[in-house]
Amino acid sequence: MSAMKKTWREKALWGTIYAATFIVVFLTSAWAKLFWRPGGDRFAVDWNESVGTVVADLSYGKENANKFDLYLPADSSRETYGLVVYLHGGGFTGGDKRDDDKILKWLCSLGYVAAGVNYTLASETRPGVNVYTQSIEIRDSIARIVEESARFGRPIKEMSFGGGSAGGCLALLCAYRDGKDLPVPVKAVFEAVGPSCFYPEDWRCYGCDKNPNLAAAMFGYMLGERIDPETFGTEAYEEQIKKISALSWIDSSSPPTLCAYGVYDKIQPYAASRRLVAALKKNGVPFDDIVFEHSGHGLQNDSSQGALYARKIVEYLDRYMPLEPRL
Amino acid sequence: MNKKRLIILIFDVLVAAILGRLAVRGALNLLLGGTMFGGDFL
Repeated sequence: MSAMKKTWREKALWGTIYAATFIVVFLTSAWAKLFWRPGGDRFAVDWNESVGTVVADLSYGKENANKFDLYLPADSSRETYGLVVYLHGGGFTGGDKRDDDKILKWLCSLGYVAAGVNYTLASETRPGVNVYTQSIEIRDSIARIVEESARFGRPIKEMSFGGGSAGGCLALLCAYRDGKDLPVPVKAVFEAVGPSCFYPEDWRCYGCDKNPNLAAAMFGYMLGERIDPETFGTEAYEEQIKKISALSWIDSSSPPTLCAYGVYDKIQPYAASRRLVAALKKNGVPFDDIVFEHSGHGLQNDSSQGALYARKIVEYLDRYMPLEPRL
Repeated sequence: MNKKRLIILIFDVLVAAILGRLAVRGALNLLLGGTMFGGDFL
């Protein structure tokens, strides 16, 4: 009887050990998958005053959100500087310039003046805010960024746009549509998973291909205008959506473009990105298209492609916006 | 600890480690899109 009891006690103990081990290892493994980067964080910089300084919350407009952070490289010995404006994501309704602090510091560490810009976020309480008004805010911020940078002893000669997701959409739009009207020339644009066009048949992830009314409501909300679903596929629609469709503004003078997209993206359709690539090719614009074959909107399953994207950003900046020699 | 228990424990650790990673990948894929296999290891 006592031997049997002992066996049962032992079995129960080992069962508990197996279960506890499983839970601990499972949670550790999940944590490591989320936060541990075996090759190191590709945008990590040992940030200190010898690298650069951040001037936060400079104003550029009358809205509360019209603020930008300026990342100034420590080296002030160049006659002029290249500016990289990096725009945050968040579905046009969320996010903040501080979310991109790491990549902005990294860009600054490369010798560029970097700027993270906030724009008024769309919400039910702000019905007048949409992708178009956001892009206009960004466009209008550039003159102030250039002015402030000069005030801090880093005069700007040329610039590039960068961004992710919604920020990628705005980066493409400002680079292609507004590039010629900005105070300094746009030399390149790099972005990841930003929507560049709005065709219902592409936006299957939301059912827009089967429901023109839904597509009209969704795209109309982003545009800030009522869209008649009957106009899909017509010149009238092309003309109307042009205000927020970066694709429509591509021509042979568009800046070189580096883009990254996930094949299984559920937020912005991969099909739309193929139109962007086709338009760049057709117009002879230099471009690199980095495809993440196993990833979605987070570009989360193809680390090697992520590393390639980071290397290509450096390559693009070196090639199209090289640093001025020191005085 | 006998050999059988050690083998079970090692198997337990391996399965938990694999499932932990797959669970995160699955959750992210569900939200953002993506494949369960291919690309990064797990």
